[in-house]
Amino acid sequence: MGVQLPFPTPQIEYSLLLPVLVILGAAVVSVLIEAVAAESLRRTLQPLLAFGSLAIALAGCVGLWDQRQVVAQGALVVDGPTVILQGTLLILAVLGALLMMESRVDPAGDPFAARASTIPGSADERGFGARRQTEVWPLFLFAVGGMLMFPAANDLLTAFIALEVFSLPLYLLTGMARRRRLLSQEAALKYFVLGAFSSAVFLFGSALIYAATGSLDFAGIADAVSADPTSGLLLSAGVALLLAGMLFKVGAAPFHQWSPDVYQGAPTALTAFMSAATKVAAFGALLRVMFVALGGAAWDWQPAVAVIAGLSMLVGAITAVVQSDIKRVLAYSSVAHAGFILTGVLAASPKGLSGSLVYLVAYGFVTLAAFGLLTVVRSPAGEATDVQQWAGLAKKSPVTASVFSLLLLTMAGLPLTSGFTAKFAAWSAAWGGWQTGVVVIGAVSSTIAAAFYLRIIVSMWFSEGDDAVVVALPGLGTRTVVGVGVASAVVFGVAPQLLLGLVDGVGVFLR
Amino acid sequence: MIAVFWVCAVLSVAGGFGMVFSRKAVHSALWLALTMINLAVLYVSQQAEFLGIVQVVVYTGAVMMLFLFVLMIVGVDSSDSLVETIRGHRLASVAAVLALLVLVLTMINQATQSLALNIVPTGLEGANADEGGNVQGIAKLLFGRYVFAFEVTSALLITAALGAMVLAHRDRLTRVPGQEELSRERLADPATAAGLPAPGVYARHNAVDTPALLPDGSIAENSLPGALVLRGTTHDVREEVAVTRAAELASDPKQAQEEQS
Repeated sequence: MGVQLPFPTPQIEYSLLLPVLVILGAAVVSVLIEAVAAESLRRTLQPLLAFGSLAIALAGCVGLWDQRQVVAQGALVVDGPTVILQGTLLILAVLGALLMMESRVDPAGDPFAARASTIPGSADERGFGARRQTEVWPLFLFAVGGMLMFPAANDLLTAFIALEVFSLPLYLLTGMARRRRLLSQEAALKYFVLGAFSSAVFLFGSALIYAATGSLDFAGIADAVSADPTSGLLLSAGVALLLAGMLFKVGAAPFHQWSPDVYQGAPTALTAFMSAATKVAAFGALLRVMFVALGGAAWDWQPAVAVIAGLSMLVGAITAVVQSDIKRVLAYSSVAHAGFILTGVLAASPKGLSGSLVYLVAYGFVTLAAFGLLTVVRSPAGEATDVQQWAGLAKKSPVTASVFSLLLLTMAGLPLTSGFTAKFAAWSAAWGGWQTGVVVIGAVSSTIAAAFYLRIIVSMWFSEGDDAVVVALPGLGTRTVVGVGVASAVVFGVAPQLLLGLVDGVGVFLR
Repeated sequence: MIAVFWVCAVLSVAGGFGMVFSRKAVHSALWLALTMINLAVLYVSQQAEFLGIVQVVVYTGAVMMLFLFVLMIVGVDSSDSLVETIRGHRLASVAAVLALLVLVLTMINQATQSLALNIVPTGLEGANADEGGNVQGIAKLLFGRYVFAFEVTSALLITAALGAMVLAHRDRLTRVPGQEELSRERLADPATAAGLPAPGVYARHNAVDTPALLPDGSIAENSLPGALVLRGTTHDVREEVAVTRAAELASDPKQAQEEQS
């Protein structure tokens, strides 16, 4: 006691942490703006700050392209997969922010409640009218910051904190829809309770892995696993719990129960961002944990992941068929997509990594665009999300119907769309060996899903519609989002080598 | 040392049972606090001083007291409904508990196996000595290896504060009338210039939930406190007043005649 030992100053490579630090810094500045600026000023300042910081972070991310380094005392890793995932997340965040700003489609105002604290249906709520709750911007930036950290995290502790940093703002934003607020608040509560529970499961798993291997570092865990490949029950239990916690976030069956309700209840602009970006971030982290830390025990976790992948694909596809709400259809289809991506994870090889990354990039843009498009089809009560309300859409707006048809066909994996490129990349990695069975299940379930997508397309083009449903003319933001989605679907479909080459260039995870 | 273990272990297990079997939420919370304090003592006795103090300050001190606050706000006497809303809830709970039991037994098994292999558990003494103390060791990890994670938790705290504000606070749409305005308003009306009538003051008892009777025998509803009216816990005196009035009129024919004319 009392002995003064020299304490080495921690090395923080600020330039390599630029994307994360810029976004988190901007979030803090954004909170300060909330405190000092007038409401009219905040309405312009906040989006400016958000877009500005996202642009700087994206530029910084491009600058990290060739970096392969463990940074911040081993907390984070900057390597090829990190850079491509962070870049994807930042572009998705820009598109998500464009959707959040949209105030032209809904005569009542932007997608978020004027004041989330007002009681739904009260005179107080009506009094605030079309005003905006600008606090959504700092919350959004915090979520993006956490998402950027999650796939880069190099130990379980940092991963857990990143998970919480991006989850908490999402729970809050889910409950802040302008319309159908009770549904939105219920969704937020469900998401919060289940999410907190899954975080606890993740933490418990981390503790057990620490107990089994004596390390929280992915590299340390990998060493302990390869030193003793006959992993004990403790490690297996830890891995199972850790997997459950992460699979909850990606929405894979049987941990998907929250996702239809949350996707339906959350403001559609946020659902778009959440469904795309959360998957990218969580799969990024899942890939790193499975490949770097537990790569040596792949034989142990592969069967479990295979079962979950098969279950997700089947449950997602079959349940989507019986849904009557189009947001729930897309939610279940995202469960199926989680299964498709898990097929790539299952391969546990560099090819599986690049296949999963290709899938994530392709899926992210298309999903974001599909949800973005949902906001423009409206009835007097708000968004027309009933599948029947979409009937005969082609007569009202051929453009909307064509674009939505294209996006659905991309999700189904039609050749010459990015969906086909993605499925091909993920499945070719898993093809051969015993994983072939999972790929076959994938093919079957994507056929089931395709049948249902086709039914929506047929009803859009060949049946009579409801006159109360109209297609609103969206602002430039939503049009950009949809345009980017369509462009990615076509370009990555017709010229898949662009995406495949980009992802192949990133190499593997750094240990 | 062994005495500390046996005392605290028995007490913490007793606290756990007490928590599960208490019917009242407040009792459960207090039992849990007992368990936590005993765990803290066990941590300290295992040379993990920092963890022990944090356990008391954060868990027993902050989290459990917050729990109690919430319980008190919700209402101490509001008893929980014990009806199962989820089918097979009990069965699932038993299965989960059994799974946890297997897990814990495995941990104990692994620990004893390493004893059999002559791997002696060293405890924290060595690690603490290396770093010059338990707190110093934790500080070195927290501000060294894990400094990034430590700093990023601030984002979490800001989000929590911001979220609480977004969900609970809103700006006022209408101006709140000040004291001067209120008093001017009151004086403008001669009926209330001298203040509102006080609630029921009677010969036999006073009651804040009972309205006053004005000199002419009518009921002064504005004598009741607004909060009680909103809560609906005021006393309805219309019937009693009517009965008394009828009796009065019966005993005094002269007044009854006046009333009729």
